[in-house]
Amino acid sequence: MAKVLIVDDTAFMRKLLKNILFGAGFDIAGEAENGKQAVEMYRTLKPDVVTMDIVMPEMTGIEALKQIKTTVDKDAKVVMCTAIGQENIVKTAIKLGARGYIIKPFQAPKVIEEIKKVVGE
Amino acid sequence: MTEKVHLRAPVRIYDGRWVDVELVITNSSLVIGKRNILLREIEDLEDVNIEGVNCIQIKKEGKIVLQLPKNLHHQVFKFIAFNLKADKFAVFFLSSATIGGVVSSDARWEKGYFSVTDEGFWILSAKNQKRIPIENLGSVKTDLRDVGGKQRKVLVLSHVENSNVVTSLVLCPESTLEMLEGYLQRLFEKHKPAINLSENEMQILTLVYSGLDFASIENIVGVSTDELNNYYDRLVDSGLAKVVKIRKEIELTPRGVSMVDKLSKR
Repeated sequence: MAKVLIVDDTAFMRKLLKNILFGAGFDIAGEAENGKQAVEMYRTLKPDVVTMDIVMPEMTGIEALKQIKTTVDKDAKVVMCTAIGQENIVKTAIKLGARGYIIKPFQAPKVIEEIKKVVGE
Repeated sequence: MTEKVHLRAPVRIYDGRWVDVELVITNSSLVIGKRNILLREIEDLEDVNIEGVNCIQIKKEGKIVLQLPKNLHHQVFKFIAFNLKADKFAVFFLSSATIGGVVSSDARWEKGYFSVTDEGFWILSAKNQKRIPIENLGSVKTDLRDVGGKQRKVLVLSHVENSNVVTSLVLCPESTLEMLEGYLQRLFEKHKPAINLSENEMQILTLVYSGLDFASIENIVGVSTDELNNYYDRLVDSGLAKVVKIRKEIELTPRGVSMVDKLSKR
């Protein structure tokens, strides 16, 4: 099953996504608390897909996406995870190569569907 | 001026039992059997299921339930939806823009109406007639969105539809937009449950919405079974959640223990 890297600065959101994705049979490759950690972990763990929060300290999800795509893996599959009201930022993410996005609050079946869609591309 | 008859059809009305009557739809009214109902006096309209039958429920000094021939159901529903008592505004809308947190890629902007009744609002177009009761409204705000390559101020509504949180976007002249936002905000505040949630309760609410089970929630929030039961009670008592299943906790009787003992020796 596909390996997922979960990136979010709140432990609660990481736990929630981990529970949903693990329950759906995904392997949880790792968890990162900010963009900087995400880039480093992507390099070492080589996940099949990343769920990336946008607003995070140290390095935002947008910056992390850009770095992963330009310096680590141009084909990286990244799904942006954002709060309602940040949809405009998502446009930037899509231009930078994000494969999809989910908006909080989300429901487990929809998240699984989206991640499966991205992984199966 | 004579009334133009749009439709004449045999229907059944439900009043504890089904009664066969004739429905006549004209420019301005519905005639159901002997009862004449002016369209502009219909307060609300809803699809309902009575005894397994899909019906239209009309609200006008009480409720009238109509069962129509299947091929006419949608046509009649649409006609009434467009003509009932409401303040109607010409708008462009995108519904559903997101479903359960995921962007709905097949949704397109549609030209239609935003229709406000006393109990909620409607999003109406030739192919989409969506009723959103006020109790299903989660939030109302305006925001900038890209529409046809331009940044436009739109009304962003989050509401519940078939147990999913859905967002719909409405675009119209800015003065109308502000008026609609103000009106819906007031209506929303009036219906908002008066409850302050603790951090744990907000997390539990989010987890229940996400579809997690009791054990997962216990684990994520880090509370005991009894504590979580108490949180659930408070969410149910405050009207934010409802009980759908009561879990059974069991322990083995001596006979059960003996059975496990035997099984382990196989």
